[in-house]
Amino acid sequence: MKTETIHEITPKIQDSSFFTEVRKIAERTNFMDCMQCGVCSGSCPARFAMDFSPMQIIKMIQLGLKNIVLSSSTIWICAQCQTCLTRCPREVNIPLLMSSLKNIAIRENIPCKIELKPKFHKTFSEIIKKYGRMHEPELKIKLIKKTSPQDVFHNATLALRLLRKGKIKLLPPKTDQIPDILVLFETASKEEQK
Amino acid sequence: MSKEVRIGVYICHCGGNISDTVDIAKVKEAVKNFKAVKIAETYEYMCSNPGQQMIEDDITKHKLNRVVVASCSPRMHLDTFRRVLRRADLNPYFLEMTNIREQCSWVHDSKEKATEKAISLIRGAVERAYYLEPLIPSTMPVKKDVLVIGGGIAGINASIELADKGYKVYLVERSPSIGGHMAQLSKTFPTFDCSACILTPKMVYTSQHPNIKIIDMAEPIAVKGSPGNYKVSIKVRPRFVDKGKCISCGVCADKCPVKKPSKYEEGLKEEKAIYLPFQQAIPNAYVIDKEHCLYFTKGVCKICQRFCKGNAINFDQKEEIIELHVGAIIACTGYDQIDPSPFGQYSFALHPDIITNLQFERLMLQGLHRPSNGKPPQKVAFILCVGSRCSENSTKGVEYCCKIGCMNAIKHSLLLQKAFPEAEPWIFYTDIRAHGKGYEEFYAKARDHNVRFIRGRAAEVVPNGDGLLVKAEDTLLGMQIEEPFDLVVLSPAIIPSAGTQELAQMLGVDLGHDAFFLERHHKLRPVDSKREGIYLTGCALGPKDVRETTSESMACASKVATFVGQGEISVSPEIAYVNIDKCNKCGNCIKACPVSAIESIPQGVEINSISCVGCGVCVPSCPEKAIDLRHCNDAQLTAQIHGICEDSGTSPRIIAFLENKAAYGSMDLAGQSRLSYPDNIRIIGVPSTGRVSSRHLLHAFASGADGIIFIEGDDSAFKDNQLREHVIQLKKELGAYGIESLRLVSTTTTLPQCDKVIDLFTTFNERISKIGRLLEEKRAKIRKALEND
Repeated sequence: MKTETIHEITPKIQDSSFFTEVRKIAERTNFMDCMQCGVCSGSCPARFAMDFSPMQIIKMIQLGLKNIVLSSSTIWICAQCQTCLTRCPREVNIPLLMSSLKNIAIRENIPCKIELKPKFHKTFSEIIKKYGRMHEPELKIKLIKKTSPQDVFHNATLALRLLRKGKIKLLPPKTDQIPDILVLFETASKEEQK
Repeated sequence: MSKEVRIGVYICHCGGNISDTVDIAKVKEAVKNFKAVKIAETYEYMCSNPGQQMIEDDITKHKLNRVVVASCSPRMHLDTFRRVLRRADLNPYFLEMTNIREQCSWVHDSKEKATEKAISLIRGAVERAYYLEPLIPSTMPVKKDVLVIGGGIAGINASIELADKGYKVYLVERSPSIGGHMAQLSKTFPTFDCSACILTPKMVYTSQHPNIKIIDMAEPIAVKGSPGNYKVSIKVRPRFVDKGKCISCGVCADKCPVKKPSKYEEGLKEEKAIYLPFQQAIPNAYVIDKEHCLYFTKGVCKICQRFCKGNAINFDQKEEIIELHVGAIIACTGYDQIDPSPFGQYSFALHPDIITNLQFERLMLQGLHRPSNGKPPQKVAFILCVGSRCSENSTKGVEYCCKIGCMNAIKHSLLLQKAFPEAEPWIFYTDIRAHGKGYEEFYAKARDHNVRFIRGRAAEVVPNGDGLLVKAEDTLLGMQIEEPFDLVVLSPAIIPSAGTQELAQMLGVDLGHDAFFLERHHKLRPVDSKREGIYLTGCALGPKDVRETTSESMACASKVATFVGQGEISVSPEIAYVNIDKCNKCGNCIKACPVSAIESIPQGVEINSISCVGCGVCVPSCPEKAIDLRHCNDAQLTAQIHGICEDSGTSPRIIAFLENKAAYGSMDLAGQSRLSYPDNIRIIGVPSTGRVSSRHLLHAFASGADGIIFIEGDDSAFKDNQLREHVIQLKKELGAYGIESLRLVSTTTTLPQCDKVIDLFTTFNERISKIGRLLEEKRAKIRKALEND
């Protein structure tokens, strides 16, 4: 929270579109009920990799700190394991909140501190749209192309080992129900726009 | 009516508050022609001395026998003008007030419309005044004895206070000994007073007091009667030991072959099937646990009887029912803790070293040790708010704060350090709440003594080899921590003790949203229940600490002493009465009464004049019209409705029935705040909206109304769900005459929520304008039906 002061925050609370947008989400996530007890953050198995704890993200949304929230790594690191939701005494739906924030970040083109993360999500869904299932080698290759080629060697040896154990396959899986899956994607994006 | 009705109408200018918006002269002219009006006067300030004198003189001069005052809200000056009537030797209930300030001049801008509305309101009042009856408040003697339910610190204190004042007290306790939860505590915060040292002398004093009779192992099973005269049946379970003969030598327990976990020791120790609850128990006598005793389970043994020197054991003791006749009842049934097991992350009951704070109290007194291996604990985690401060919809936890967890954990930390100076207490807290006298200092002392405070609700407790691992986020550092501990102490949420709901039903009092007893008023009547003569105190009202419980129980004793000490109570005459000849004994009214004031008698039903709160909900429930409500009887209410609807003209007319306290008060507030609402809405104050029957609505529709609004106060005896049912029933009945159900709305309000009511007024007015006025043929049909009725 290096740049924004409370004077910058206040007008944003009043009229920021971000705040009203998140408010809409709030109806489903109860995030205004958060009392900052920290159970979510203490329970989070991915907390070590996050720059802000889930609890801090909620506090920042309450204050309308849009840029910090949307550019944080937390929203991308969240693994949707639901432990926080299970333990939250106020039943704040943090996993849903995190995925909603991810969507806003993509829509608004806000760069993430961990460059790979948004790319990963995008590529992941592209592959699903293509084959109807995950094809790990392609995912990895695409991500390597898009980031640094430095770890190509490391990945290649790992891929060989996985291949030998039959954990991954060279050819993509086949499904004849791709149209159905595309309908799923379409419905989900419509839901999101609501 | 043998005597001619002579009505005087007095219209107040209120120094311009009314006269600036209402054309008083025009109103006076119009009012003069109303039925039975002999004189109409106006004055600058009716409530001033000259104004009052004018009414007083006129009553004698013009032989008036009814007075209508059109001025401010009756909530303001009803008593003032009733005193005027009393001074003029006229029954004060011959006064009718109508509110042309808060409900007219302050909320409407158009002078023409406001004047029109003032005239119509006064017409309603005059019509009603015509049917007023003289009423005299009655009195009832009050029984002086008091029943106290629950023998914890609250019950003990209240009993002693009352007994010392000279009242006879019956102290009923469910368990074999009085003392309650406080008897289980080691020390008390923040002074470290030994709990037993301050409690047991009081227990002994209670048992020896000539005015107190302790009835142990007993609970009430039925409550009948009325305030000042309650008849309570108490069920006493057998102890199987004669209290008079038992000398607590303990030989019986030595010989008894059956062991069971001790309730007093919170399951951390075992005791025999014949046991003394604890060393200082009052009454100090052994008791046989029927569930475990071999004689009762298998029909053998009786070894205790053989060894008892005093011949105190009696297996033939039977359950008894005692009848008590008391004037007042105090319910102080205390609290329980929730079971932490559903919160899986804390692994409670999966490891012996994860305990509750009440178990920790017992461990302190047993000599502090780890239940798993008996060794002294070195590192102890205190986890606060287990199940407290959850969301409203939580199925596992409760919404409120347990209020004692923080201070209790600090006390335990300091006691732990006293026992083992090397020990490391850690407190995982959400917020430290140190609200009481000396509490903040206590917190500071703990910080000074190196108690580690982690601001963060513990995430999970994992059994890890010999020890336990606690994971949490230190929210102040923004870091996750994971620490090994020897002992984990949970602070479970506090809930009302088992059976509170049944007791509330028996006593006819309410429970709040949190399932604790509900006080009459949060601020001003904190120990009164909604029912006269029944008082509440201690943790049965909500979580609190010993000091607060003590002061509350003393306050309660004082209120009870005032109540039973007055010897007799004056009863408002504005209550329901039965015409016994018409009663067909259907019992509908008994079911309808929200305060259990109606009882069935051989001839029919009887309304208890003390219990009756005058809400009138029973009146519409009677199919034979055998019940009516004094001061708001059918004739009076119908006349007022006619008076107000008569001049409806061309615009749709809406009648709003407002419950007389909170709902009416909220519209007074709207007036004081100079808010505004459509002027075609006319308000009639009623004791409760449940008093208004379909007949009244038909009368209203027949004489010009187009829409009806019901607004009930939130603290009224007539509850939300009853209102909903009532309205559904009314809509059904109105439907038979072709009246659309959209023409009737209802809501509940608190006094400050006048915005909500005004919103409803405005939207409902728009709705009625859209639907249009009720067709004249429908009105004619209703009129015909009413005539034939």
